[in-house]
Amino acid sequence: MTVAEGAKYVAAAYAIIMAVLIIYYFMSARRVAALQRDMQLLEDEAKRLQASAAGTAAE
Amino acid sequence: MKKLVSAPALFLGAGAFLIIGVVLAFWYSPIDASSMGFSQKIFYYHAPIAETALVAFGISFVAAIAYLRTQNLKWDRLSVVCVRLGLLFSILVMATGMIWGKAAWDSWWDWEPRLTTFLLVCFLYAAYFVLRSVVDEEQRRATYAAVFAIIAFIDVPITFFATRFLPAGMHPAVITSGGTGMPGSMFLSFFLSMIGMTLLLVALIRRDLQIETLKDRVSDLKTALGG
Repeated sequence: MTVAEGAKYVAAAYAIIMAVLIIYYFMSARRVAALQRDMQLLEDEAKRLQASAAGTAAE
Repeated sequence: MKKLVSAPALFLGAGAFLIIGVVLAFWYSPIDASSMGFSQKIFYYHAPIAETALVAFGISFVAAIAYLRTQNLKWDRLSVVCVRLGLLFSILVMATGMIWGKAAWDSWWDWEPRLTTFLLVCFLYAAYFVLRSVVDEEQRRATYAAVFAIIAFIDVPITFFATRFLPAGMHPAVITSGGTGMPGSMFLSFFLSMIGMTLLLVALIRRDLQIETLKDRVSDLKTALGG
């Protein structure tokens, strides 16, 4: 097998590895960001409900 | 607990080692003199990914034992994250190994010991996720999964030692007690790629653990809010 022929297979192998690892990296980063946003929204909602309940009790 | 190395630093370190490793593999390490020729360059990422996949399954095995001893769900989270990453890396190993086999030996697949046992590893750990998906109750799911992870790990050392004890296949035993079996210029590229891939595994484990922890907290908050 010539270097040129071998290079096609080598390029394919490295492209698959790089593509999968880079996609996984960005997908997991997006997942962290989305979950942190969800958690923040839920915590805000919990605080709002607590405040509202405390206000009702005070009345 | 304060972490010794930040997540971005781990990813940057992994990227740097992997890039230097591959640059050296192409511009410093010689072309293999055997029949593999230029296609041997696949080795510099293929072998480190294979080793790190087995390391991930090893961590999963230890975490599974720790879960069964303590019943603490943090160990279950670590175990599932490591199995997920180990399976991802194993699929990459299989894919690149098939490409390499086609280039070097004109064969996409051969039922030789290393390939067959590695395929079995993939099937076993894929079954791990099937098992998890059919059990609803959290503690019971974690217990079943831990037992399964311990049983599945039996195939990992068999895969690792397959080329040493059953050498009748395509795979050479690269690193043995007698040495590395390759020139220093090749070993340097391999070693740097190995460090890079290990750092990447650690970084991905940390990030995936963060995801699992956040998922649990979001779920708890939703339950507390009645949703």
